[in-house]
Formats: sequence, structure tokens, C-alpha cells
Amino acid sequence: MRVNPNMSGDVLAAIWQTQSQENTALQQVSTGKRVNVPSDDPLAAAQMIGNQDQSKRADQYLQNIDTLTSQLQTADTALSSTVQAVTQAITLGVQGSTGTLSAANRQQIAQNLQGIQGQLVQLANTSVGGSYLFGGTATTAPPYTLDSASPSGVTYNGNSGTNTVQIADGLNLQTNMPGNQLFQNSGGDIFGSLQQLITALQSGTAAAAETATNQLRTAFDSLTSQRIFYGNAVHQLNSTQTFLQQEQVTLKSQANNLVGADLTKAATDLTRAQTAHDAALAAAAKILPTSLLDYLK
Amino acid sequence: MPGLDTSLSIAVQALSANQGALSVTTNNIANVNTPGYSRQVAVLNEAPTFQESGITFGGGVTLDQFQSVRDELLQLRIYEETQQQSNSQTQLNSLNQIEGTFSDPSQGVGGALSAFFNSLSQLSTNPTDTNARQAVLTSANNLANSFHQAVSSLNTIGAGLDQSVPQTVDQINRLTSQIAKLNGQVAQMRGLGKDSGTTQDQRDELIRQLSSLVNISVTQTEHGLTLTTANGVPLVVANQSDALQANANNSVLEHVYSTQGQDITSQIQGGQLGGALQIRDQVIPQLLTHLNNLASQFATSFNTQHAAGFDASGNAGQTFFTPLPSTTDAAASFGVAITDPSLIAASSDGSAGSNGNLEQLIALRNQQLPSGANPMDMYSNLVLQVGNLGANAQADVNASNLSVQQLTDQRSSVSGVSLDEETTNMIRYQRAYEAGARVVTTVNSMLQTLMNMGVGG
Repeated sequence: MRVNPNMSGDVLAAIWQTQSQENTALQQVSTGKRVNVPSDDPLAAAQMIGNQDQSKRADQYLQNIDTLTSQLQTADTALSSTVQAVTQAITLGVQGSTGTLSAANRQQIAQNLQGIQGQLVQLANTSVGGSYLFGGTATTAPPYTLDSASPSGVTYNGNSGTNTVQIADGLNLQTNMPGNQLFQNSGGDIFGSLQQLITALQSGTAAAAETATNQLRTAFDSLTSQRIFYGNAVHQLNSTQTFLQQEQVTLKSQANNLVGADLTKAATDLTRAQTAHDAALAAAAKILPTSLLDYLK
Repeated sequence: MPGLDTSLSIAVQALSANQGALSVTTNNIANVNTPGYSRQVAVLNEAPTFQESGITFGGGVTLDQFQSVRDELLQLRIYEETQQQSNSQTQLNSLNQIEGTFSDPSQGVGGALSAFFNSLSQLSTNPTDTNARQAVLTSANNLANSFHQAVSSLNTIGAGLDQSVPQTVDQINRLTSQIAKLNGQVAQMRGLGKDSGTTQDQRDELIRQLSSLVNISVTQTEHGLTLTTANGVPLVVANQSDALQANANNSVLEHVYSTQGQDITSQIQGGQLGGALQIRDQVIPQLLTHLNNLASQFATSFNTQHAAGFDASGNAGQTFFTPLPSTTDAAASFGVAITDPSLIAASSDGSAGSNGNLEQLIALRNQQLPSGANPMDMYSNLVLQVGNLGANAQADVNASNLSVQQLTDQRSSVSGVSLDEETTNMIRYQRAYEAGARVVTTVNSMLQTLMNMGVGG
């Protein structure tokens, strides 16, 4: 039987094949990736697009959480100062309700309270990066201005709008509470009660001052219960942050499963491919040069 | 009883026949590495016998012809597989280039889409922040650029293939005219009853080269081979060749025409030309359509939602992405319509600090476009498509490489020159020649003896 006398084609094909296996294994070991172009594993490459998007989303959510945490903490700090100032105002109101005080003393207290009123307006106008925190969605102008013509002593320039920000897939967090809901809600009106107290001390009776002080107390209770919103929001941010950090780890390991090379397997493949390549070369070196001519002297 | 001179002439015949046979061996050895060469064998036959005194005597040997050893059916299958192989290889080369555009999952249109939605998300934490607004516009422009880049890299690959069309057609025409000439010679030699081996080898090698360029069909007729394209457009008939023509008369792309002026572009499927046309006319337009759909559908749904919101000055949102709603070149002309960051319609209630509409815009990330998938899934479908095309082409190349290799081995086992065989033949002919020469010497010495008898010594 006649066989193919020219081995060089087959031998070269074998050498190229082992070399290409060696290259693939080497590429996997050196890049640590099994899928370098989509055709290496089309489905994994397509899923990687989703994985990368998820991972970038998680990065952005974490960045949102950082920004929001600082905004919400600033708001909470401002409210903490507000609570202190109102507490001080209540103490002064109790003093002013005492029937034995002279008119001059009452005027003195009223003046102190006006100072607190200014301080409260300043706190209600707290801003971060030019954006006012307690104006609802009207964040470009100070929400409160002193206004002696108004029965509450102030004017609210904001609105009742709230914003939500996405901090995880399917999780939108409300990020602000409008000033009219915080300070002047159905449970009580901080500015209104304070103005009434000032008016009572300036020109009214001790009983009127006492009534106003009690109203201020009720408004104070209402404010502290509204303030819990900020505490809860910060808490929610913290727990979501932990969740997202875990998700990032999961996504990285998913990415590794999709396109990462199994290094043990890749290294074994490389050794195997090298051995096969060496064998092909050795076989070529043995077979190709021999012919009958070697034996005819 | 034949005389000594008869023996002498038989011996001389033997010398010349074996010398002739040795020249076949020499020629085989000389062509051991010639592509397409089929080994030849010397056809030795007994010379006519003659009778004398009732005894039949052998008349010696004649060298009738040199015959080349070939299997024509095998040759046809090699053409068939060669056009398949070069078709897949051409497609694979282009698909490898195309894949490069889509290989990094964090870059390209996918990466730009993620970054764009992230910039909107960042802005939603502080909708009045001018820097964050500017960042949205920047990432929108990056998205536009990534669409443009994907389109232009596909178009560049398409243009390269388009340029290769007239070049390949030229090569085809050069080959067919050479084949026609050789085809005529083969027919002529056959007509004269001669072995046309060498000419046929040259012709078959040229046909093999031709089949790597275009799918051909080969039919044997009494006037030699007839070559047509797979759809019957004649390329070579007897000793005439019909040239194909490539030109871009009525379109931007090169089309291929038969000699009669018929447009046969879409009929060419095999070989390098078929592969190039397949990528240029099917694969690239298909990928571009996908990109265009993504660009157009995304821009439309984004613009609709953008118009539902209010910009920083409280005015209704303007068109964000241009142009619309054309889908034919949406990816190439994808652009950002606004340059003033304050025109981004973040607000849902008209006040500058509201981010309500941003939240709606961000939600588009997960909403189905008319295609039935969300923007990112549409893009990953495209990557899946590119990957599958590449993987399939690679598998085709591997398979056809293997078939061509096997067929070539088979052909070689029939027609290939074996140095061992030729060496053996060489020894055989050499020994026969030596023996023949010895016969001449012997007859000579016998004649000498005869002469001396006459002298009477």
C-alpha cells in the first residue's frame, strides 16, 4: 500500500496545532483570563457586559451613599442645634411665665428669644454646596426669611417637594424633608409658637406667655419626632453600603467565574501543551531527515 | 535462431529503456517539492515477439510513455474543500478584527452607557451641582463617540473588504485566462493520444488557486474542463476564458459582473471573494443595524422622558439626543443636542432642586426598549452575536483545514513523489542498465570469438 510520502505537511500541521495550544495556555496563564475576545466564549462575554454594568452601578451607588451621608449628617447636625436652641427658648419661656417678673425683665427675655429666633432661621437655612437642605426641592434660595409682618415671624420660601435618590437596584431613598414639614407641621409650629411667646413677653400677660411656652413644647416634641427621619436615613445608608460592598465582592467572583482562567488548570494545560509541542518537534526531527539514501553508501 | 546482432540490439533497447526510465525518476526527484506535481511512471512494455524455426523469441523492451499518476475525483474534492477553507479563513480574519471592537466589556458602547447612567445617578444626589450637570453632558458625548467609533471601525473593515473585491476579481481573471490556455493544450495533447501530465498538473494547481478565490464548479467535457461559478456563470470553456468585472457603478460598494454584464455579487458564496462579500454584505450590515436600533430606540425613549421634565430654569426639557427617528444611520449620527448643562431636565416639578425626572431617566436603564430588551441587554446581545460569529468561523476553519489536510494527504499518497521509491527505482534501473551493458560486452566478446574463428588461429 502506498502511503503519503511527504510527511512535512502533516508534521507542520501537528507542530502548529501544539504551538497554538501552547499559546492559548500561555495567554490564559499570563492574563489570568479564559475569555479574551468574545469568540472565546460568546455567552460568557455577553454576560460580562451585564456584570461590568452591575459593578459600575454598585460603584456609583456607593458614591451616592457617600455624598448623601454627608448631606444628611449636615442636616441632622443642624437639627440637633435647632433642638438645643428650642430647649433654651422653652427654658426662657418658663422663666418669662413667672408672674413676679418685671416688665423690663420680660423685655430682656423677649430680646434673648429674638436672638434665638434669628439663630433658628439661620439653622433652617443650612446649605451644602449652595444647595439649601430644608427648602423642599426649592434648594437654590434660603427657605426662611425673618418677616415681622407674618404671624409666625418668618416666611417660608420653599415648597413641599421631596427628592429620592437610588442607592441600590430597586431602592430609592428619600433624601430631604421640607422645612414646612419639619418646623411647621400639624403637630406644632416652632416659629409660630416662638413668635407668640415673644409677643406675649413684650406686651402680653404671664398666662399668655405660659400658653405660648406650652405650644412651643408641643412643637418641640413634633420636631424631635420628625428628626428621626434623618437618623433612619443615615442608618439605611450605612446598611446599604455594607450590602453593596458585599455585592461588589460577589460580582468580582462572578466575573472571575465567567471569564477568569482556572490558573491550576491553565498551568497544567501549559505544561501539557509544552510536552506535546516538544514531542511533535522531536518526532519531526527524527522522521523528516530519514530516507533510504541514508542507508545507501 | 536469432543472430548475435539481434541480442545486441535487444541489449541496446534495454539500455535506452532503462536510461529513459531513469530520466523519469530524475524528473520526479527534481519535482519532489513542486506544488501540484503528480509523480510520473515509465510505462515499460515487452517489444513484439518474433518467431524463428518455430520458436517464439522475446523482442526485448520498449519504453512506451511517461504517465502521470493522478486521481481526478480527489482533485475535485480538493477544489471543493479549498474554497470552503479560504472562505471561512477570510471570514475569520475579518471577524477577529470586528471582535477587537467589542472585546473589552468595560469599554465601548456598553461602558459608555454605564458611565452615562452613573453620571445621571451622581447628578441626582445634587441636581443643582453645575459640575455634575457638566459631567452628564460629557458622558453623553462619550456615549455618542463610542457609537461613532463602533460604526467607523465596522465601516473601516467593510471598506478594506470592498477594496479587496476588484483585486480578487483581477486575480480570478488572470487565473482563468491561464487555465483556459493550459486547458486547450491538454485537450490538444489528449487528442493526439499523448500524456498531458505536466500541463495538467500546472492547470490543476491553477484551478486549486482559483478555487481558493471563488466557488467554482468543474465539469469534464471532450474539449477539456469547463469551469463555472457555482451558479453556472461560465469562467473557462475549452480554451476560452470569460472575465468577471468589478465596479462600483450604481452603488458605493463594488459589485461583481459576469462577461454578459449580469450582476452576480450575491451569488458568489465560496472562496476568498465569497467570504469577503459575506462579511461586507451580510455580517457588517447586520451588526450596524443592531447598533442603529440600539442608538435610535435608546435616544427616542430618553428624549421622551427628558421632555417630560424641567430644566434648571423651570422650562420643559428639550431634545437631548439627535437626530431622530431615523434608524438607518442612527449610530453614526448619534449626537447630543444640548451644550448648556442647565438645560438638563432633572426636575419633575419645575423647581431647580428636584431630581424627580432624573430618577425617571435612570429607570430607563432597566426598561425594555421596543426591541424587547433594555439598552445594556441589547448591547450584550450584539456582543453575543459577534462572539458566536467568530466562534463559528473558527470552528469552520478548523474543520476545513482538517479536510484539506486529509485530502492533500490522500492526493499525496496517490500522486506524491516518494524519495524512497525513486531511490529504489534508481537502483533498479541502474542495475538493469549495468546488466544490459554487460550483455553488450558479452555479445561483443562472442562476436570477437566468431571473428577469430575466421582467421583460423
